[in-house]
Amino acid sequence: MKKLIQFKNIVKEFDGQLVLKGINLDIYENEFVTLLGPSGCGKTTLLRILGGFLSPDEGQVLFDGTDICDLPPYKREINTVFQKYALFPNMNVYDNVAFGLKIKKEPKDVIEQKVKRMLKLVGLEDYGQRRVNEMSGGQQQRVAIARALVNEPAVLLLDEPLGALDLKLRKEMQHELKKIQQEVGITFVFVTHDQEEALTMSDKIVVLKDGEIQQIGTPTDIYNEPANEFVARFIGESNIIDGVMVQDKEVVFEDKHFACMDAGFAPNEKVDVVIRPEDLDIVPKEQGKLKGVVKSVLFKGVHYETIVETRSGTSITVTMHVSEGKPVVNTEAGEKMSANDFYLDIEDIAELNEAGIIARADAQAWDATTEDWISIHKVEYEIKPEIGTYPVTFSTKAGTMVSAQMFVREANRIASKEYEEEIYAVNFFKKVDEIKESMALETDLRTWANASAWSLEDDSAVEITEVEYDFNAETIEPGDYKVTFKTEGYEYMVDTTDKHEVGEVVGLLFGPEDLHIMSKKGSY
Amino acid sequence: MKQFRNMALPYIVWSAVMIILPMLLIVMYAFTQKGNDVLTFRITLQNFVRFFSDPIFLEVLKRSLWVAVLTTALCLFLGYPVAYIIAQADGRKKMLLVLLITIPMWINMLVRTYAWVGILQDKGLINTILGWFGLGPVSLIYTDFAVILGMVYNFIPFMILQIYTSLTKMDKSYLEAASDLGANKIQSFLRITLPLSLPGVLSGITLVFLPAVSSFFIPKMLGGGQYVLIGNVIESQFLTSGNWNFGSAISLIMAVLIMISLYITKKVDKNGQSEGGK
Repeated sequence: MKKLIQFKNIVKEFDGQLVLKGINLDIYENEFVTLLGPSGCGKTTLLRILGGFLSPDEGQVLFDGTDICDLPPYKREINTVFQKYALFPNMNVYDNVAFGLKIKKEPKDVIEQKVKRMLKLVGLEDYGQRRVNEMSGGQQQRVAIARALVNEPAVLLLDEPLGALDLKLRKEMQHELKKIQQEVGITFVFVTHDQEEALTMSDKIVVLKDGEIQQIGTPTDIYNEPANEFVARFIGESNIIDGVMVQDKEVVFEDKHFACMDAGFAPNEKVDVVIRPEDLDIVPKEQGKLKGVVKSVLFKGVHYETIVETRSGTSITVTMHVSEGKPVVNTEAGEKMSANDFYLDIEDIAELNEAGIIARADAQAWDATTEDWISIHKVEYEIKPEIGTYPVTFSTKAGTMVSAQMFVREANRIASKEYEEEIYAVNFFKKVDEIKESMALETDLRTWANASAWSLEDDSAVEITEVEYDFNAETIEPGDYKVTFKTEGYEYMVDTTDKHEVGEVVGLLFGPEDLHIMSKKGSY
Repeated sequence: MKQFRNMALPYIVWSAVMIILPMLLIVMYAFTQKGNDVLTFRITLQNFVRFFSDPIFLEVLKRSLWVAVLTTALCLFLGYPVAYIIAQADGRKKMLLVLLITIPMWINMLVRTYAWVGILQDKGLINTILGWFGLGPVSLIYTDFAVILGMVYNFIPFMILQIYTSLTKMDKSYLEAASDLGANKIQSFLRITLPLSLPGVLSGITLVFLPAVSSFFIPKMLGGGQYVLIGNVIESQFLTSGNWNFGSAISLIMAVLIMISLYITKKVDKNGQSEGGK
């Protein structure tokens, strides 16, 4: 096969932002090449440079060996199918398709022959006299393809041409496009953000991200051997686990050694291990290479998407003291007032102020009849940076008073070496009514307990994915309750045909060929 | 919906009184003889017979139509390139240019026309400047040239804005597609831009032709007393001769002529579309 198009170090900048950061890419004759990537990755920009609608700031585009950067679109042997088709509304289907040939001043009978043949190819031979805006999206799409192909270009560019069609039509057009490409035997350069579309149609996929090529390869290559985490995630949902390559064909993750097929990494190099959900099997726990608990099962039409947790995340448990807690009533002034006791970290005392105390104690005062809020006028407290119990009194201008206790304790945090993260939460006091009235209990519990988790490596926030508690918010009675906050553990997504019960202990089985090792560095 | 319909009632009454009633009065005057009172109508076609049998009036009508057609054509040929340039300009420049086109319209038309009198008259601006070079004086005012100039000057913004709007509404991807299919800039313009801007051109023509054909104070001020167009005839029937019946009849004839021309314009517009457009 012959190299037809060569991109050489293409750089493009818009308003000071680098959209393409040095693209090098060869496209061969008769290839179906797909530029795949999320929006903003530069795929459309690259296509427009090839079409001649943009010129690169740096680099060369070679077409058959000659630089075409300065060639206007109408002088290139390339035609484009535009995103929204851009069919000329002032012409009918026939005239749209004939446009390019008329411009080239081909004889009338030749034009007629070619247009008819092309309309036949796209299955619209009886639609020549139709107005373009009387046609459906799929039909307009076909007209756009016919209009481009009738000029017998060496390359056809397609800019997300199926984006505007519904799912069923899109599937149909995918097959049709592939068929047309094989029939006319020219190079197709196709742009999409839909990985499924790319996998079904292409001979070669070019995965782009932030103006850089992540990987070039056949659909099978890209799917089975993604070059990095981005490609793996973009191409399909996948399990990506941190691991260490101890030596060639041996990888460690979850403290266990596994055989794999990959080699060529530095000894003890940190890697990402990719396992496709369909490559994992759920087996009885004694037969599995890993053991875990089924966390959730989702039916996906043809299979079940089962999440198996092999290790739970970092967790912390706090006590919630629930009291009946009727508000203090001042009949003379017609005011009501309430406040909760609260726990305080010893290290927070230095920064403590009145507003902080009011917030922590959730101190409130309101008019007994109108329920309008009344501001708290005075906060009296005495506190020492030592472990102990200290009183605080809140009062309004009218003299209504309420007191609460401040319990100063060591910070309640738990670190996990395994995940290199730390989780923090405090015990807290609440009233029955506050819990009953909570609209989003898990979020409120997180706020009340001041729960948070962060990575010990870089201090970035870690999400608390689970909140467990042992009470029913509707019927809660005064007393002490346990609340547990948890971060995400090691979870594996498995595609299964059998339905497993949530809570079932199972084993996970995989072979050396199912482990795909990727470098952490992210280049290909 | 019912209550909203009721809210429109005052407007309907207002329209009936302020729009339909005057029209009916014009029709009534046109078909009756002078000297009517409310009770006695003497229905007649005499007013129309008088107009069509007098070669002077027909001559005036012909001249009015000719002036209007010439004005419209000049507005189109001068206005289209301007509209095209504005549509091509980017951001701030585009806003500025649109503003420059619209600003004169904020000033009363009469005042602007007076300004031209000052520029064109025998001792006016142009002749003064020519005098410095030992040229002229050239007689500019009270000529066909002055009248046409005044009309084009006053009405060209309508043409430019209509064409500009239809050009900016056009999807840029059509031009990219044309270029992609091998058309150079001129071919793209002739085959895509021009046909797609036709609706704007047609409404521009309508907006210029209508005031041009019935204008009376531009010919009066820039053409002088002897330069009579149909608008001037109508004006004098009402204001000087006091023959409201004849004036109304001429107005009615003009209204019919305008309606016919509007109908033709619409027809052309439709045909343009049935070739495959929106």
